[in-house]
Amino acid sequence: MSRFRKFVLAQGVAASALLGAFSVQAAPLELAVASSPSGLDPHIVTAFSSFQVIDGTVYEGLTALDENLAIVPGLAAAWEISEDKKTYTFSLREGVTFHSGGVMTSKDVAASLQRVMDEKTGSPLASRLAAVESVETPDPSTVVIRLKAPSAPLLSSLTSIAIVPAKYLGDTESLQRQPDGTGAFRFVDWQPNVAIRLTAHEGYWQTGLPKLEGVTYNIVPEAATRQVGLTSGQYQMLPNIDAVTALQVKAQPGIKLAETLELAYSLVGLNVTRAPLDNPKVREAINYAINRSDLVQAALFGAGVPGGPLSPALEQFATPTSDFACFTPSVDKAKALMEEAGVDTPVELKLLVLPRDDTKALAQVIQQQLAAIGIAVTLDIPEIGKFVQDWRNSDFDMFVSLNSGTIEPDDYFYRTFRSGGSTNVFKYANAELDALLDQGREETDPAGRREIYGKVQGMLACDGPAVFLTYGQLYTAMRDGVDGFTIYPNRSLGALKSVTLGK
Amino acid sequence: MLRLLRGRLVDLGVVLAGVSVLAFAFIRLIPGDAVAIMLGANAEVTPERIAAMRTRLGLDLPIHEQYVTWLSGVLRGDFGVSIWTGKPVIDEIAAHIWPTLQLTVLALAAAVVLAVPLGILMARLRGRRGEAIVQAGSVVGLTVPPFWLGILMILALATFAPSLQLLGYVPFSEDPLGNVSRLLLPAVALSLPITANLARLLRSTLLEAMQQDYIRTARAKGVPARAVLYRHALRNALIPFVTSVGIMAGYLLSGAIVIEQVFAIPGLGRLLLGAIAERNYPLLQATILLVTTAFVLVNFLVDLLYALIDPRIS
Repeated sequence: MSRFRKFVLAQGVAASALLGAFSVQAAPLELAVASSPSGLDPHIVTAFSSFQVIDGTVYEGLTALDENLAIVPGLAAAWEISEDKKTYTFSLREGVTFHSGGVMTSKDVAASLQRVMDEKTGSPLASRLAAVESVETPDPSTVVIRLKAPSAPLLSSLTSIAIVPAKYLGDTESLQRQPDGTGAFRFVDWQPNVAIRLTAHEGYWQTGLPKLEGVTYNIVPEAATRQVGLTSGQYQMLPNIDAVTALQVKAQPGIKLAETLELAYSLVGLNVTRAPLDNPKVREAINYAINRSDLVQAALFGAGVPGGPLSPALEQFATPTSDFACFTPSVDKAKALMEEAGVDTPVELKLLVLPRDDTKALAQVIQQQLAAIGIAVTLDIPEIGKFVQDWRNSDFDMFVSLNSGTIEPDDYFYRTFRSGGSTNVFKYANAELDALLDQGREETDPAGRREIYGKVQGMLACDGPAVFLTYGQLYTAMRDGVDGFTIYPNRSLGALKSVTLGK
Repeated sequence: MLRLLRGRLVDLGVVLAGVSVLAFAFIRLIPGDAVAIMLGANAEVTPERIAAMRTRLGLDLPIHEQYVTWLSGVLRGDFGVSIWTGKPVIDEIAAHIWPTLQLTVLALAAAVVLAVPLGILMARLRGRRGEAIVQAGSVVGLTVPPFWLGILMILALATFAPSLQLLGYVPFSEDPLGNVSRLLLPAVALSLPITANLARLLRSTLLEAMQQDYIRTARAKGVPARAVLYRHALRNALIPFVTSVGIMAGYLLSGAIVIEQVFAIPGLGRLLLGAIAERNYPLLQATILLVTTAFVLVNFLVDLLYALIDPRIS
């Protein structure tokens, strides 16, 4: 054997020994996601692509959500609410440390809330703290939040406000690239367009967690590549996928699915400043003309349910759709309403379509259903940037889109349907509804809130500015051997901390 | 030679100036502006915030002023900062250029190495049995879209060799073997149409060369058939081949954009597509300018090379 060949052989042995050593070591969980986040600052970026990387994994709030969307203690172990409902006293958990080192104290909590409210941060979460008058820190483990007026949504709002070290107050750059929280996973690095790596936070306050060595979010834009990566075992989880993808991977051996009803919903938005959509009767006619069960079958492959203004996943608030008359489709009733409204049919309307496969499918079915009552719909499917612009400028007759729902009715109803609300692109104005929404904001009694939001849903369901369509089923696909995962309707991957990785 | 060089350099300048105007103007013709997309569908977007952001990015100036500002920066080597990350555009490009370069070089090398023997084979098969099959094969190779071939290859790999983990990207510095093995599939997919193209070109130029007087002379003086083909015909046939390789290098850059998407490779293509989706004007302008410059420069070098190979050109 020549010297050269001996050398090659020795190298080979050394390499396989090395490989062996690597495979013994526990590897991180490999996830594949479609798009790169634009940043990771929890107070600035709210897109799903960022949210699923940091929410509950890297960052935690004072309160948290369980898988049924009920509010549970987070970094606050307990809280007390004063008699007048205007003072909340939070007792912080002991032994919570930040990834950068250092124990979390009430100062950090106060600074985090301050950072969200600070105009310079430009946080889209600021309105969730609009009711806060002051934040006090009587001792390192107590935070007192005083409100201008009682605010029922406060505890749920706090689930979405990450606690970061106090030093980031006034710094809007660092956290975008280098997150620093209290969660079970610590940020390691972010290779643009390749992967974001998280590793276990040794000092995590919940003993025994996380069970994983780490989590790697691989950024893989092509759907076919993600699927093949899962079936070949290169990736162990595809989080938050739709029904079509789920059905495809389900057929493969060694793959299992977790599923839940999603908070996000599809809707047709109506521009109420344009004739004939300014007439409530026409809006009601459209509601009657649309057959939501057909939409679920055609666009969601049966994986979803018809839904009203609130997701059926929000059991404590959502009115059953059987209570809305217009959810029982009737072309005759719709035609009669069009006649009552005095509309000369056929009337031509343009439907702006969010460029996604499911919304395009919805749009085509809606086009046919509305043709039956004399509304000739032209589809306009622009590129996403144009869609957002037209949507924001209310430059549409109708649009079909997906909205990410929230766990708190006030937060979403208020900005979407109140006159002048920041996402009220329908230009809807209804004084009676406005009064109810203002009232709901201050009501803290659960039964009272249920009653108010029940009325709100009743007002919006049939002749409001939006035709609520469907709530889809949300899936996470994973390989056998990935255990302990719980899927959340709001797409949070916080449950990764309890996941174990077998062979 | 010097005159040629000077003439080409003037051409280069004119082309780049034109491209800078087009790159600047075209991306502003895409409907939807950067600020609206950047702020997205967030709840708290007020007109004041949009206006403030626009001012910060200099997008409130008249378009010709924006162009002059940008161009004077470029001439000083300052390409501006990315709208989204705030990092210098040049850093973003530097972070994404290596995978694309690697992919282009690998694919081009594969194409050249395969095309020369294939082209010779095709020329030698002329008029014989098997010609039709090889010709048909080359047409298929020419017309198969690389991204589709890429997806097929990924699927085949998952079916027949699921234990091979060849998706994604690892930096060369971290794992040289993993780096190259992950680039192999996309490089092959990318090189197929170019291999077919080059092989067909070589075939026809070889056949043409074989008709020349000097070949007849060589044969007449008793040079063996092998030597006639390789030493006399091939050498002359390679001149248009080299030109073609240069042009292909440019096309490979654009092919890489699509293939990077399929194989999840973080190259210039991913950067460019992302920049279009985000209306990241500075990043987009710089990337287009860079890719065009590369394209023009490669062609420029080929012209020079051409002059070197063939002394008649000057």
